[in-house]
Amino acid sequence: MAKIVVVTSGKGGVGKTTTAASFATGLAARGHKTAVVDFDVGLRNLDLIMGVERRVVFDFVNVIHGEATLKQALIKDKQFENLSILAASQTRDKDALTAAGVERVLDELAAEFEYVVCDSPAGIERGAHLAMYFADEALVVTNPEVSSVRDSDRVLGLLASKTRRAERGDGKVREHLVLTRYNPARVAKGEMLSVDDVKEILAIPLLGVIPESQAVLTCSNAGVPVIREENADAGLAYQDLVARFLGEERPHRFLDQKKGLFSKLFGG
Amino acid sequence: MTRSRNALEFKGRWLSITRVRVLDADLDAIRAQLAAFARQMPAAVKGMATVIDSEVDCELAALLGELRAVGMQPLGVSEGPLAERARALGLAVLSREAGKATAPSADTPVPADPRPARAAAQPSPAAAARIVETPVRSGQQIYAQAGDLIVLNTVSPGAEVIADGCIHVYGKLAGRAIAGARGDERARIFCRKLEAELIAIAGIYAVAEQIKDGPRGAPAQAYLEHGRLKIEPHKV
Repeated sequence: MAKIVVVTSGKGGVGKTTTAASFATGLAARGHKTAVVDFDVGLRNLDLIMGVERRVVFDFVNVIHGEATLKQALIKDKQFENLSILAASQTRDKDALTAAGVERVLDELAAEFEYVVCDSPAGIERGAHLAMYFADEALVVTNPEVSSVRDSDRVLGLLASKTRRAERGDGKVREHLVLTRYNPARVAKGEMLSVDDVKEILAIPLLGVIPESQAVLTCSNAGVPVIREENADAGLAYQDLVARFLGEERPHRFLDQKKGLFSKLFGG
Repeated sequence: MTRSRNALEFKGRWLSITRVRVLDADLDAIRAQLAAFARQMPAAVKGMATVIDSEVDCELAALLGELRAVGMQPLGVSEGPLAERARALGLAVLSREAGKATAPSADTPVPADPRPARAAAQPSPAAAARIVETPVRSGQQIYAQAGDLIVLNTVSPGAEVIADGCIHVYGKLAGRAIAGARGDERARIFCRKLEAELIAIAGIYAVAEQIKDGPRGAPAQAYLEHGRLKIEPHKV
């Protein structure tokens, strides 16, 4: 039976889709059969980030309504045959998702894949609620800034109470903190919350810190998940993140400012 | 002919009753305030047993209607201008001595309560303390009815912890804490690190702006002294 992992945040624009895309790709790259599902009905982005937007025929809502089979809707990634993408509908809205329909599709996916990654929309309404409802584990994506942290805290409360696991008393949804758009220079200046600040407020285990990186935009334009960009710190950070998720110990890199030539020569 | 069993059994019982003092008999104002109260604390208002206390005469039947409309259960009135109307409606009329505030002021000796079977306006915590071990996250609301609330973790900003009794937070208190929710002025709030957005005891409250000169970021205790909210550092 597959593990269902939701990538959620509460706050919009913090890096959920970027993370879901790289996380799913990373798992597949390591040999695990993975499906990544876009729950943002009406504002879909996952297909763009994964580079499959020109191959979408049927989507998540079509499958729920029985207009297409899952097999017809799933898009196989060109790079990793272990990886499949289920796009969201762009023309409908989130009311098209039903709990029963989502459950049925996730059950079908769980029978075929090892990991089902659910890319949640922003907010705490229906789309976000359904994306997290069936989850076994959660990646809570947070920017090191006060409104994102508060929204993530809200989402943690929902993960602990408004999920199938919570309602059945089946054991908690396992929570992982993913700190994105981290900028060590701004942290040093006191303009941005530090890793320790965020960990203290949210009190969940840290899975990874992804540094702010220009590569994220370039990769998204190219339709290539940033984890595949080995020259980018963000890409390497996502690789570390996947490794840690799978149980490996990896020290956190990219937490400190890059030393300029001056400081390298003269210390400090 | 003698019966082998009694038809009725009389047992003493503590009941949690809230005294509703009428300050302004304007029904529109009353209706608006009740609606706001019910919106903020729906769990407390629903079924709340109340005794109406008024120094002035007012439309008792209409007032009862307003209280019942939000789910409260008016049981009676305190002896006073409303007594006549109450009797006509078949409501209980309680002596003013029933359940006075138990926080003694410096010059009156604490009265021993000779009638423990009577309902007290100040509820004594009849329920065991409610214990919460996980963090109380933003947006969550926890209400410990008829007792104390003990949180063995943090209360996040945007969270609300409410108790009819005291609130004890063995961690950082960063949300809102409302103790003595049904009017118990003896209730207190304790925490290991005070960063609360709002502190309230028996309806008397202070927001973070007002607390800012107090013991922020340190162990603190909040209590009512002569109706004034005191928030002080707590050191052993």
